[in-house]
Order: sequence, then structure tokens, then C-alpha cells
Amino acid sequence: MRPGYRGRRTRRDRNQSIRKKRTCRFCDAKETSIDYKEEKRLQRFVTEQGKIIPKRITGTCAKHQRELVRAIKRARHLALLPFVSDSIR
Amino acid sequence: MSQTGKRTYETTFIVNASLDDAQIESVINRVQDTITKGGGTISAFNKWGRKRLAYAISKKTTGFYVNMEFVAPGTAIAGLKRTFQLDEMILRHLTIIVEPKVLKARKASAEAAPQPEPAPVPAREPLFGDQNEKDQENKKEASQ
Repeated sequence: MRPGYRGRRTRRDRNQSIRKKRTCRFCDAKETSIDYKEEKRLQRFVTEQGKIIPKRITGTCAKHQRELVRAIKRARHLALLPFVSDSIR
Repeated sequence: MSQTGKRTYETTFIVNASLDDAQIESVINRVQDTITKGGGTISAFNKWGRKRLAYAISKKTTGFYVNMEFVAPGTAIAGLKRTFQLDEMILRHLTIIVEPKVLKARKASAEAAPQPEPAPVPAREPLFGDQNEKDQENKKEASQ
């Protein structure tokens, strides 16, 4: 709540308390490139169905999301990652 | 681009895993030959071996993965692609340019790495109510 204001809690106030600021994992780790060969690491950015998770959910920055998407698509081509998971096929 | 128009490339391909090892070896040799004939030099070579495919490729669920890195002129890549496409034993292939910034970063980390001495593991702080705590206290008293 804003200091000195004793009214109802606004939506902004509530959101501020709930949401934590997410940071790009790749920026935090000072990663230079994202490798398509590390399918275990890429799996974290893919849903159970095999879809790529948008950056607004994962908090990845635009630059790294672009690299990540390229890596995931390369991994899919080499059958390291599925296009569609077995469970829904 | 580095000197004389050569670049570092990385290629990964999947060989039909139902072949026996000798046949797989001959496929790999053929690929290596096309690279060297095209004026390239292989700088790294990894066999990942038989792996499960994430999805079936021409009704096969396993594949033999081979990954190699090489320095070659751009003209060598067309020939390499052609051998991949003509070989029926190769299920998939991917050739990419290893970007200079990645090479640079790798070199930098390799220079930083040659200190194989790992940081000594810090002595564990005795937990509350830990048996070690008493022992250490006893030792301290003994040394004093």
C-alpha cells in the first residue's frame, strides 16, 4: 500500500505484493550462447506438450528468447526434443 | 569471417542405428572424407552413440548420433549436404556455423579453465545440536 493512503487496496498494490520481478536466467548466468545439444536444459522452456513457453511466463529477455527458440527448433529437427509429446499424439 | 574465407562449422547427423558398428563406421568415414576433400579440417569429433529419438523418423525410434566440428571454406558445405541427402542410412543432418563470438567465449573459458585444482570444500559448520559440535569443543579444550 502506498504510504499515507488509507483507502481500499488498489489492484496495483495487490499485484506488487504478489508478483516478484523475474529476470532472464541466461542474462543472470552471463550465457553467451544457447546450445541446441543441451536438450535437458531446453526442456525447461517447453511445456509438457512440447510447446515453447512464451517469454512473458519465463521472464527470458527478448534477445535470449530468440536464441532459445532457435536452439529448440534445431533440437526438434534432430529429434532431441519432440514437436508434439507422445502423451497427446 | 576468418582468414582465407574459412569458417568453423558444426554438423550433427543421425545414422540408422539398426546397422552394425562397421557399417556405421563406414558412413562416418564417408562424411569425414567429403569434409577433408572439400578443403576442410576436422577439429572435434564426438560420437554420442545410440540414442532414443524424440519421435519416429521413417519408422525408427533409435538413431546413432555423430557430432563434429570443422573448419572449411563455404564451398565444402554444398558437397557435404549432397552426401547427406544421397546417403539413405542418414536419417537427419544439421550443419550450422559456429559463431565467432561463441568461439571467442570458448577460448576465453579454456584459458581460464587450466586450473584443475577445485576450490577446497569449506568445512561444514556444525549444525545446532550436532554431535560434532561437542567433539570440536572437546578438541579445542584439549589443544588449549
